[in-house]
Amino acid sequence: MNVLGIIATAGRFVAEEEHLVTDSDGNVVTHSWLLPETAEIIWGGLASLILFYALYKFGWPQMKKFFNGRTARIQGELDAAAADKESAAAEAVGIRQAKGDIAAERARIMADAATQAENILTDGRARLVTEVAELEARSQAEIAAARGRVGDELRAEISRLSSAAVDHVVSGSLDDATQQELIENFIARVGAQS
Amino acid sequence: MSDNRIEGYSRALFEIARAEGTLDEVEDELFRFARSYESSDALRNALTDEQIPAGKRQAIVEDLLGGKATSTTTQLVSMVVGSGRGRDLPAIIDKLVARASSAKNLEVAEVRTAVPLTADQQDRLTAAIVNATGKQVNLKVVVDPSVIGGVVATVGDTVIDGSVRTRIDQLKSRL
Repeated sequence: MNVLGIIATAGRFVAEEEHLVTDSDGNVVTHSWLLPETAEIIWGGLASLILFYALYKFGWPQMKKFFNGRTARIQGELDAAAADKESAAAEAVGIRQAKGDIAAERARIMADAATQAENILTDGRARLVTEVAELEARSQAEIAAARGRVGDELRAEISRLSSAAVDHVVSGSLDDATQQELIENFIARVGAQS
Repeated sequence: MSDNRIEGYSRALFEIARAEGTLDEVEDELFRFARSYESSDALRNALTDEQIPAGKRQAIVEDLLGGKATSTTTQLVSMVVGSGRGRDLPAIIDKLVARASSAKNLEVAEVRTAVPLTADQQDRLTAAIVNATGKQVNLKVVVDPSVIGGVVATVGDTVIDGSVRTRIDQLKSRL
């Protein structure tokens, strides 16, 4: 038995069970090629009405709620996107402004740095000139002091040598007679005082 | 050393010398010893060095003065050195000399010369100083080569300077 044979046999069994009219091939035969049975129209219509009512009563609010929520969500997303856009625009303005500020600040810093460098150079030159002058003055003073010191030392040495020479010469020239004469002169001089 | 201690030592030495009846001699010897002590660094260091035992320092004194000074002088110097007061020996002796002179109503006249004076010169110098100062003096002669020539006499606060040393110093100052 092929597949078509099996379907035909099944159709005949169903038709017999439901008291349907069938042709010789087992196909169900209706009263109209277009319209269903009257009872089926009535019951089908009633069932459709009930179904539509139930859908209207229970399904529609849920669907409406779903669509409202979706609309609100989409609107929220649209609002957020608009806010983000505005924020981004404001940020862009800020960045552009900051960029402008940075450029101005950079220019100011460069100008300050140039001024400071110029000041440092000027101060450095002035300090260098002053230090050179001070060094020169100090060197001159040290040379003069050294000259004076050497002169003083020389004078002191000459004085010391002269003193030693005088002591030596005088001591050497004082013989016993001179010593006695000095003592006698002292005694006479003191004795003359009163 | 405090003045009181120096005064105490000088009084003790003075009383001992007077009790022994050799005050004049002891006073003179002590005076000369004090001047030697002042002019000799080696002697001063030896008698004041605390590292040298007291007995050894006293032995040095006895070696120096033994046979050259009276035993009283030797014992007195030895006693001062042994008691660790060697550093104050000149001050103690100067006080003793002043005390001894004062006991005789005399003032100490310290005379420094480059060469020793004869007895005649000492007598005439004493008379000259008495005449010049109006004070009776106890003449103490110190031979001091640094004087070079002439005499320096000191009576109390009065100094009569006729030394070559001073003249040379004045000449150097002017130069």
